[in-house]
Amino acid sequence: MLFEQLAGNLVQGLVLGAVYGMATMGLSLIFGVLQVVNVGHGAFIMVGAFTSLMMFQAMGIPPILAIPAAFLIGMALGMLFYFGAVKPLVSPSGSGIKKMTPKRLGAAAGMFVGLMILMWISSGFFSLNIAIYLFVGIIFLYGFALYIYGGRRQDKAPELATLLATFSCGVILEEVVKQVFTSEARGFNWDIGKIDIGITVLPYTKLVAAFGSLAIAVILYMWFNKTRAGMAMRSVVEDDVGARVCGVDVDWQYALSFSLGIGLTVTSGVLLTMFIPVGINPYMGGPYTLKAFVIAVLGGLSSPYGAFFGGVVFGLLENGSYTLFANIQGLEPFAMTRFFSFVMLLVILLIRPTGLLRAK
Amino acid sequence: MMKRTHKYFPILPVLVAYGALLGYGLFFPGKWQLVSQLAFYCTLGQAFNLFMGMTGYVDFGYVAFMGVGTYGMAISIYHLNEKGLGLSIILIGLSLAVAFSIILSLAVGAVALRLRGAYFAIATIGVNEGFRFLIEGARIWNGSEGIIFTRHMKKAFGKPAAMAIGTFWADIMMFGVAVLAAVLTLVYMRNKVGYALTALREDEDAAKVMGINVTKYKIIAFITSAALAGLLGATAWALKLQYVYPTDVFEIHYTVEAIIIVLLGGAGTLLGPIVGGLIYGISKYYLSIVLPGFQLLIFAPLIVAIIVLFPEGTVGILKKKVINTPLQKFII
Repeated sequence: MLFEQLAGNLVQGLVLGAVYGMATMGLSLIFGVLQVVNVGHGAFIMVGAFTSLMMFQAMGIPPILAIPAAFLIGMALGMLFYFGAVKPLVSPSGSGIKKMTPKRLGAAAGMFVGLMILMWISSGFFSLNIAIYLFVGIIFLYGFALYIYGGRRQDKAPELATLLATFSCGVILEEVVKQVFTSEARGFNWDIGKIDIGITVLPYTKLVAAFGSLAIAVILYMWFNKTRAGMAMRSVVEDDVGARVCGVDVDWQYALSFSLGIGLTVTSGVLLTMFIPVGINPYMGGPYTLKAFVIAVLGGLSSPYGAFFGGVVFGLLENGSYTLFANIQGLEPFAMTRFFSFVMLLVILLIRPTGLLRAK
Repeated sequence: MMKRTHKYFPILPVLVAYGALLGYGLFFPGKWQLVSQLAFYCTLGQAFNLFMGMTGYVDFGYVAFMGVGTYGMAISIYHLNEKGLGLSIILIGLSLAVAFSIILSLAVGAVALRLRGAYFAIATIGVNEGFRFLIEGARIWNGSEGIIFTRHMKKAFGKPAAMAIGTFWADIMMFGVAVLAAVLTLVYMRNKVGYALTALREDEDAAKVMGINVTKYKIIAFITSAALAGLLGATAWALKLQYVYPTDVFEIHYTVEAIIIVLLGGAGTLLGPIVGGLIYGISKYYLSIVLPGFQLLIFAPLIVAIIVLFPEGTVGILKKKVINTPLQKFII
């Protein structure tokens, strides 16, 4: 009885693990190239989930077809946060204060007015209130200050700075989404039938999500190994000074890999909604951040493929432990599984911080 | 070399600031709520700064220590209220709070403090979630139902005394924790611990090579900071609210607030958390009137802006301005 239950849950875990792996590849890519841990990881998954939800509800587009849109949204967000928050910390090029000439001030004022008018027009779509204008105004002033100040060389603890910056980016996203969509949990139902494989029943949506993840992982692998652009990015992972000497534009590779990583993460949010299409809310990302860290550490933290296999291992362990906890009296299996993933993180960090699969 | 008495001069502005805050609350009726809120933020910043500011490590699971501290006070009142111990229950609760947070910090620190920078942050980010799920999953301390002990407090101290503790004395005790945190920070700064921590914050490898036992000093700072968080939880949450739910006390937003406060004021300075706490508390208070629900949306970009544009924080900049003036020995 227990064995059958376990076997069924392990199959589910294998399928879910593929999606988990996909959801962590972005994190590992960003760490591998920039040595930045994206602490706001879960918030980007949440953006993907909302993209999927909105496209399904407003336009009737099935989640699998929302992937390109989610990827583009993710790339755009990645670029935005890279230039706004991460770049001044990791590559302090162009430091030094620029003069505030009337021309620069005039251009800034013009852009500010234009932005406000744009917001005013687009307020027909979402009910914007005065606070959103204030927020956008603050962001704009920040951008202008950043332009005038340039990147400022960090004397100490750049790691601390990037951790806090990515963390804040996650909080910003959560709060913006909360203002637009409120914090209530939403869900949708995309039903395309299910298949009975004897020990368990798998809906086709889950299988599509798992194979979609696998396909994306394979495409990424091909891109990294067969194309010049992919090899350039890999060279930065190996040795960024060496890559610079060989003529690779390292600054641009930083920007590209950050936005590619965010793009992958947002895409994985879409795939995750095919598994769990309910409970979509602005703060849903937190548990995924924790899971992604466990998986990334399992896979060696700086290798996207390691992350993919780490995801599969984690999916199996998670569902296996759920089955065991569910058979012990007096425990709440769901909460205990979450606790188990945290303990696993500590144990792996303690005994094998380079990852179980020894990547690279 | 500075004179011995000059060593601890910087505590004066701290005491003046807390005294002024306390006086404002006592002599202006109707402001006590605001004052206790501000004192909470200052204390939170001060306790958090002791670890983050002095070592340069970010502990994203910090709120877990406040959570277990809250539970320490809660279970001592919940279980001991009929023993006729009177006010010594509070002392037992405080020591239990400190004990719990020290145990948890030892368990977490034993793993996390072996790790550097990014790996440390990864190890701590799950602490509050992990511990919350342990309490809920294994149904420890009533599990997800939490502990409500208003009734037990009335039984233990009598109705008027329980009311007075909840509305006034808990805040006074919180001021005590704040001063304790400031004093400990200064003592550490002016002694071997502080020098070792400064060295390891600037360059951990170099510090190690110079023969500093970095792990030992990191653990000292980590445990002290955690114990202060436990005390803060026991006074500001347990005694004041008289209930505890796992979802409330392991809420990551308090860690975010602690980070904002420390950065606003200036990490690694003594006065920083007070300045940061006051700026954050006052602006949050007015923002919640003018624009309710928008505080984080405004503060999160602010963190990014501070990190990128003014990494030293308010007091960090002030400190540079007062060099070679008489104020120099008061501001660190």
